[in-house]
Amino acid sequence: MQIKRIRLKNELILGRIWAIPSLRVGFIMLLALLILAVLAPAIVPYDPTVLNADILSPPSSQYLLGTDQYGRDMLSRILYGARTSLVIGFLAAGLSGVIGIAIGAASGYFGGKVDKALTFVINIFDMTPVFFLILIVIALFSSSITNVAIVIGLTTWTANARLMRAETVSLKSRIFVQAAITTGEGRWRILLRHIIPNGIYPVIINTASNISAAILTEAGLSFIHLGDANVISWGQIVADGRTQLAGGWWISTFGGLAIVITALTFFLIGDGLNRFMTPKLQK
Amino acid sequence: MPILDIRNLNIRYFTNDREVLACDGVDLQVDEQDSIGIVGESGSGKSTLAMGVLGLLPENSTRLDGDILFKGRNIAELSQSELAAIRWKEMAAVFQKSMNSLSPVHKIGNQIAGIYRIHRPKADKKECRELAKALFDKVNLSMRVYDLYPHQLSGGMMQRVTIALSLMFNPSLVILDEATTALDVVSEGQILREIVHLQETDQVTYILITHNMGVVASSCKKVAVMYAGRIMEYGLAIDILRHPVHPYTQGLLRSFPSFTGEKGSLRGIPGSLPDLSESIEGCAFASRCPRATERCGMERPPVVEVKEGWSAACFYAEEGGEL
Amino acid sequence: MAMGKYLAKRLLICFLAVILSVFINFVLVRVAPGDPISIMAGMDNPNPEMIEALTEKYGLDQPILTQFGIYLHNLLKGDLGYSYRSNLPVMSIIGERLGPTLLISLTSAILAAVIGVALGLRAARKRDSKFDKVFCITSYILDAMPPFWLALMLMLLFATVLGWLPTAGMVDARANYTGFARTLDILYHMILPVLCVTLLQIPTFFRIMRSSVLQALGEEYITLYRAAGMPQKTIFRKYVMKNALLPTVTMFGMTLTYSLAGVALVEIVFAWPGIGRLLLDSINGRDYSVLSGIYLMLSIAIAVITTLLDAIYAWLDPRIWLK
Repeated sequence: MQIKRIRLKNELILGRIWAIPSLRVGFIMLLALLILAVLAPAIVPYDPTVLNADILSPPSSQYLLGTDQYGRDMLSRILYGARTSLVIGFLAAGLSGVIGIAIGAASGYFGGKVDKALTFVINIFDMTPVFFLILIVIALFSSSITNVAIVIGLTTWTANARLMRAETVSLKSRIFVQAAITTGEGRWRILLRHIIPNGIYPVIINTASNISAAILTEAGLSFIHLGDANVISWGQIVADGRTQLAGGWWISTFGGLAIVITALTFFLIGDGLNRFMTPKLQK
Repeated sequence: MPILDIRNLNIRYFTNDREVLACDGVDLQVDEQDSIGIVGESGSGKSTLAMGVLGLLPENSTRLDGDILFKGRNIAELSQSELAAIRWKEMAAVFQKSMNSLSPVHKIGNQIAGIYRIHRPKADKKECRELAKALFDKVNLSMRVYDLYPHQLSGGMMQRVTIALSLMFNPSLVILDEATTALDVVSEGQILREIVHLQETDQVTYILITHNMGVVASSCKKVAVMYAGRIMEYGLAIDILRHPVHPYTQGLLRSFPSFTGEKGSLRGIPGSLPDLSESIEGCAFASRCPRATERCGMERPPVVEVKEGWSAACFYAEEGGEL
Repeated sequence: MAMGKYLAKRLLICFLAVILSVFINFVLVRVAPGDPISIMAGMDNPNPEMIEALTEKYGLDQPILTQFGIYLHNLLKGDLGYSYRSNLPVMSIIGERLGPTLLISLTSAILAAVIGVALGLRAARKRDSKFDKVFCITSYILDAMPPFWLALMLMLLFATVLGWLPTAGMVDARANYTGFARTLDILYHMILPVLCVTLLQIPTFFRIMRSSVLQALGEEYITLYRAAGMPQKTIFRKYVMKNALLPTVTMFGMTLTYSLAGVALVEIVFAWPGIGRLLLDSINGRDYSVLSGIYLMLSIAIAVITTLLDAIYAWLDPRIWLK
């Protein structure tokens, strides 16, 4: 029996995406970021770890964003930093999304005791000081990129779970799902084929801001030297520049600006996606 | 002189890039102590008409052209502050029951007093309570409701409160916009009976807006049928409900099952509302009308008087009869 | 009564949240790479006396459940462990840092709440105006800023470049002020950190208030009050405010956990003698006892405050309180 899925008309999608300013700008910025990050090794003017002779020199035509107190070129370091942030952002938010969807869908679909128990878990988790938990785990275990991403992902799924649960509950009562149940489709099949694909949209929107949050969290961790020491990270760059505020303001400033711009990119995308999915908001 | 005289009213909504004509050349006269039902499907413009008369249309995105003479005065030209003088004192409203018909976090009494104090700022608590008691008596509500919160009342009780509120300053005209739509059938029946009763005791003129012919049948003397922002037929309820002359009204009535009388077949009206952002040539109903001719598609039918006090916007009104 | 049930549920969650933190603390030390003794001692090769002392105190040679029991027992006694790095019980170390942190957190929270709510209210009233657009964008930008970076930029501007404000610390260490002069000195040093944390928290309040007000404005009771002629100002003051503030209270609780991280990072930058600094020092010194002590204290604080806020919300919202 054919069960209709909710589909968006494909021809209209691209047009509508372009019509929303925040989406348009957001996607362009994301594209730029991705290109810069992926191509970083090829396009950096200097090797980011090399100690050039010009220590602490201000932005110039030779060093576009200046150099730090060890003589390392800031532009190159910041470009490399983009790789770290984006990897962690996507990994952490991705994991957080998967966990959130799983728990939220289970909670909403099975209802009853399962729902009560899982909702309790969600509420309890919401009350924990997440950043400090991440901190302790990283301090005790290792601070590699994957570790950081995993820990962030394991601790920031509650919003996604809530959203997925709400969608599941509302979808459960829809006719096409009821029809599937009546015709005896297996529970897991219903969840995977009907509920999750249709209820996933708010989670997708939330994932955009999750990516920003993950990047900001990682930056905080590397600022206090809990980040991966083997990679270049923007938080670390800002920390490097902290002692040089008077004589080398460009280090911390540009390091942090990179974070702000990246976080804003994902905020814009999230906002734009929100408007895209809720036509009422479009103005 | 009619208490409400609407002349050539046009109301336009402006959205992103489109302009929707929600009310198109509406002419309507309401005499004192009349009870009129305005019937139409969703999108017919009846609620827009009500909001227009009440002066509650959003200023930035709507435009109202035409005259609305209330007791001889053109209220269409009044500013919000000028309107405030007649608001609630001479013209009041009852809206559709919803979860938040009243503020959910304030007591009913608090809100009644709040409205009372708009026009009687110095009223003290005792005075407000006494007023509430008088109003509640009229609608068969117990005084204990005064100290309750909205979510503690049933749907019927909530509507009684809003009806009582509307009668606060003894207005001459009350507009009820889908007031019984969200109620269960039993409450609806009770409320309608009470409205009819109130009209007799308080001599209020009321306009009842609804999509339900049954509501009109049980509580209104006259009825106006609206479609696509235009008035299709207007006259006494007894006449129109029994022998409607306009094809649209006929179609509407055929869509309602009847408990008594012949168990005929239930027929809907094929087709759907025209797009109101495009201008419509000729009769708005032509595309769905079983009797439409070429003329109907090109010329807008004038309002034809079938008999005194009964008019229809159709070229073939006089020929009437069943289909 | 529903309120009692609601509160009981929230208290249970609060209690379980604390238990979870306790449990996590307990488990982490034992599953982390390296052996628990080294971790708790904070050094790689603790001497035999230390090994014996720790094993004795935490029952590390006993079965896991007994260990957990001992751990809980210690906690209830108020014993959060001992910092071998600084030779003091963890409880007292944290205790003396708590004051300065609270000073900044509370001051900023109140300021941010007041300013954010006021701005959000105004932005919602004048939706899509320049004011609205400017502040919505500003709110996004502030949200995208890492707390430690904003702190550094503010320090750069006001302390390093302009020299108006001090760069670090809570008091001028050399001056040794007392009494009123000391208070002034503290206030002087407080300006930048408080400014920073406040700026970071305003967007949250702004956004929630703005969307709550917009939501309230779309409700049916607003139409009723407007139809009754209630002036816009009164509608806002008496009815919109209370309806809009409720969701704000809830959301504030939920964002508490995020703002703590920000406060800690800002404290670190300004060398403010609070929990943030302690955190940094403990990480660098591998002082796990202090770290876990901080985590536990914060968990309890958040759980308690959130539950309190929930209770306040339940008291304010009659839909929960009276059923």
